[in-house]
Amino acid sequence: MMTVDILSSIKGAKPSEAVNKLFEAIKKANSTNNNSFNKNHTNAVSLDDLRDDVVINSPKFEKQLIIENFPKEKNGYLVVAKVIEE
Amino acid sequence: MSQIRKIHTQLKNKEITCTKLVQDRLDLLKSNTHNTVNSLLDTFALALAEKVDAKIKNGQEIGLLEGIPFGIKDVYMLQGTLATASSELLKNYKSPYTATAIQKLLDAGAIPLAKENCDSFGHGSSSENTIFGAVKNAVNTDLVGGGSSGGSAVNVAKDFTVFSIGGDTGGSIRQPAGYNNVFGFKPTYGRVSRFGLMAYASSTDCVGPIAKSIEDIRIILNVMSGKDVKDQTSYQSSEISASNILNAEEIKTVGYFKNFIETDAIDPEIKSAFLASIEKIKATGIQVKELDFFEADTLVSTYYTLAMAETASNLSRLDGTNYGQRIEGENLKDTYSITRSENFSEETKRRIVGGNQVLSQGFSDEIYLKGLNLRDQISENFEKDFKEVDIILSPVTPNTPPKIGESLKNPLAMYLSDAYTVGFSLGQLPTLTIPQGTATGLQITAAKNNDELVLKFANFLKDTI
Repeated sequence: MMTVDILSSIKGAKPSEAVNKLFEAIKKANSTNNNSFNKNHTNAVSLDDLRDDVVINSPKFEKQLIIENFPKEKNGYLVVAKVIEE
Repeated sequence: MSQIRKIHTQLKNKEITCTKLVQDRLDLLKSNTHNTVNSLLDTFALALAEKVDAKIKNGQEIGLLEGIPFGIKDVYMLQGTLATASSELLKNYKSPYTATAIQKLLDAGAIPLAKENCDSFGHGSSSENTIFGAVKNAVNTDLVGGGSSGGSAVNVAKDFTVFSIGGDTGGSIRQPAGYNNVFGFKPTYGRVSRFGLMAYASSTDCVGPIAKSIEDIRIILNVMSGKDVKDQTSYQSSEISASNILNAEEIKTVGYFKNFIETDAIDPEIKSAFLASIEKIKATGIQVKELDFFEADTLVSTYYTLAMAETASNLSRLDGTNYGQRIEGENLKDTYSITRSENFSEETKRRIVGGNQVLSQGFSDEIYLKGLNLRDQISENFEKDFKEVDIILSPVTPNTPPKIGESLKNPLAMYLSDAYTVGFSLGQLPTLTIPQGTATGLQITAAKNNDELVLKFANFLKDTI
């Protein structure tokens, strides 16, 4: 099983005592109706109401800001971290 | 008294110029020692103010919100300005676009003055989990400003902004409003578009106003509401008119949760003040019913389990490649994990780890799925209650604001302090904090989509308690 530090991509991460206490409370809580799972999805969009699947081109200023935010740029290319093969 | 209407009249009658109004508030924000500001939008704000002045000078009509200075919690996008979420990771992040709710306010002519301090990514109830220094309470600077929209509530309370836009996932507008004696409204989930609000827990994230009067809350809410194709959970709502919320005769029954009050966890003064308010309401002829509700620790655990699961997923994109300040490691995975461990705060890491714990194999059934199940039961409980009562009234918090430093030492106590706000978030209900009734105010809640009734009852209480 994967540990939480790997799942979270956080070095040395460990489950915390405070959060575990919350989980204990939820385990103990009474759950009267086990069949109601997934009923709380009234925010789903109806098929008739889906937005059109179109590509919207960002304005130039927006593109420039996205590039500015990117961690690294070299010779006009955005540079991602070095990829490893496993 | 509506601050917006007062300033609008002063501008129209040329008693003040918009430039002076904006400059004065910017000066107050800049020199304030409550740590409410992450970045000032001075150049932008003054340029907008000049345009408003030119319009007035030319004898043109100005809209009600035109020239009104406001603040924005630093989790919203405003194109070209910093959007840090009070975090190290996004310290230098610039918004590439503008949030829908903010754009609507800009279109109405309101002038943004500052990006406001808050708990990092909304993770906190005290506005101490921030790289910009703990927000200090408006009334007593030894105490916390509340959270996560602490900077916004303090700015409104101190008149540094006329209103501010906060974000509420589990109480983050209502609790700081209560701690600083102002109004704070969490609308029905979906009434205001979330587009451009950095996601914390998407199924309860709400955009809402903090202000000094019910009328100002109404004005701002109307401007921000509406369906938005960029947030498919948003819906079309009708405008709430001023005259519609003046008469509360249709409100016949009010309920409150007995177990919120009959507990040792509540401060005795908040308890007696709450019960005294109930007596005053009864005296007007309104019927008051005691209601049964889930235990406070069940509510808090359900909320945090689901919110942590959602935030673990939402924040997974903050890895130094897609977003955020990258710290290079030996390889891609190493880069991700160094970037995240160095740049996230302890509280944010605690929540991400908690979220991944409950989403992982072996844990999801007994914790996450049970949490979803409990949420459904909570919603059903609300549906049942609103067949019996028109309004539910609650305290905002069990206790008065803690001293700065206390919440960081005891995260569990901080989570439990959200006991009275998280239930209404899970139910996606409209809830308003009013600065009356107890030391940290009262919460007024109505059934889903009935935001108008909440404001109506608030108006009624103004003269009743």
